[in-house]
Amino acid sequence: MKVIPIYIEAGISGFESPAAEYKELRLSLDELLIENPSATFVGLASGESMTGVGIFDGDLLIVDRSITVRNNAVIVANYNGCFVCKHLNKPHAQLISAANNYPPVTITASDDFQIEGVVTRVIRVFEPIRGLAQCMP
Amino acid sequence: MYALVDATSFYASAEKVFDPSIRQKPVVVLTNNDGCICAVCPIAKRLNIPKFGPYFKIKHYLAQHGVVIRSSNYELYADLSERMMTVIARFCDNQQIYSIDECFLQFKAFNSMIDDWHQYGQQIRKAVWRETCLPVGVGFASTVTLAKAANHASKKLSGFDGVAVIDNEQVRQNILKRMKVSEVWGVGSRLSKKMQVMGIITALDLANQDAKHMRRQFSVLVERTINELNGVSCMSWDDVKEPKQEIFSTRSFGHKVTDYNALKSALVSHVNIVARKLRQQNSQAKKLYVFAHSSQHQANYYKQSTMVQFPQATSNSLIMANAVVNALPNIYREGVLFYKCGVGAIELESNQFRQSDLFIPDSNNEKLMACFDAINNRYGQGTLQIATESSVEQWQMKREFLSPRYTTNWREIPRIYC
Repeated sequence: MKVIPIYIEAGISGFESPAAEYKELRLSLDELLIENPSATFVGLASGESMTGVGIFDGDLLIVDRSITVRNNAVIVANYNGCFVCKHLNKPHAQLISAANNYPPVTITASDDFQIEGVVTRVIRVFEPIRGLAQCMP
Repeated sequence: MYALVDATSFYASAEKVFDPSIRQKPVVVLTNNDGCICAVCPIAKRLNIPKFGPYFKIKHYLAQHGVVIRSSNYELYADLSERMMTVIARFCDNQQIYSIDECFLQFKAFNSMIDDWHQYGQQIRKAVWRETCLPVGVGFASTVTLAKAANHASKKLSGFDGVAVIDNEQVRQNILKRMKVSEVWGVGSRLSKKMQVMGIITALDLANQDAKHMRRQFSVLVERTINELNGVSCMSWDDVKEPKQEIFSTRSFGHKVTDYNALKSALVSHVNIVARKLRQQNSQAKKLYVFAHSSQHQANYYKQSTMVQFPQATSNSLIMANAVVNALPNIYREGVLFYKCGVGAIELESNQFRQSDLFIPDSNNEKLMACFDAINNRYGQGTLQIATESSVEQWQMKREFLSPRYTTNWREIPRIYC
């Protein structure tokens, strides 16, 4: 439950805070970044194949399962038992990287493939965060 | 209209959500302390793995077939359950969460907007699947007991694709005649044995009994069940969420316990959990059941239990802990390798209707308990303990095959390869 703290004011205090009337809930990153909390999860990016769209090793990816996947969207998918992050080329059924030296991967009928969700935000971790597992080098 | 929505082998399905490498494999989940199998995914069901069988007995069979084994990851299940319930709640006027993986839905204003219930059920399934990656079954009917039966049919009977709607006599009979009486909601194994002797084998047999007559034979609850199976709504919406009439806390030990004090601290921890749950639902217990036993799978099986009656119903952790400590000499026996113990609060009464006793001063000390709960809610359970609980490590759960807590611990979030 979110509570707006209201401080007890003893009768002896001189002046009421002029800002008291304007008190609001503090900004919440969750509220700003996550539109559908029950369909959203956070993952840790690992690898360099998406640097072209600004996804680097060690970034936090916010993934929404409820969003409709547009062509070329940045998605997270299950590709043969692994979560991968790629562009999805729908007409060619291909997973496309956003960096040199990573050729497109064509999805075939024998692959185990499911779209997990759309990457809606990326969080770059400039200073190490205590309490977050660091990515393997 | 009512519906019951529940997840297909929830624990096993939940394990697959963030681990795509096991989605195509048979998966089973073990109970506390990895003792028994408590969930079997549909792929594993095809290998005829029995639910609730002890794990060690079929360990080799599981290894032979490459079955993936997981310990119960309650942190993950609780979070996924909440997500699933939130998605489902969008589809109805009222939702009543009945257990971690099932909820009842009530449709009032929604009724007029839905013309095809079957299609609507599929819509619910699709939304839950897409947003949480969990498979659910949906059963619709005009009473809650029939909705529960429809849900059973949606998953277990041939001819249904995850949704079953009991909206005419033909479907009702078709489903009920293919259900065992023991599978009817509210009919336990004990009742069903008695009914089978009377020739009541299927759910339809039960529905065709004379309700008044059965009331005399059994109870008013059975009468209500029969009426409900015939489409006469008897359970009010509040019955579905009735506070629990019994609260148990039990667990098997990670390592077998022989020490008197170790057993005492385990039992006191259990009673503390029970007392906290009592206070959460604003009730108090008149009696406390305390038990401990050795492993059924070993020679010299020993089981002992005792019932403590309180002079005045209570939910006070300290009073209940004292009762356990006093009862222990009746339960403990030297040389026994204790495998499991627990306590249960029974004959609960609501605070609201509590009778105070003229001759017994109220010893519940609600303020102290409120303070106790407030501290533990704020700083985490176990911050403030009963001193006897102290050596808790000795009996903490064994979870050898635990998966990461993908959604509740930052260190364990899923890795995504780029």
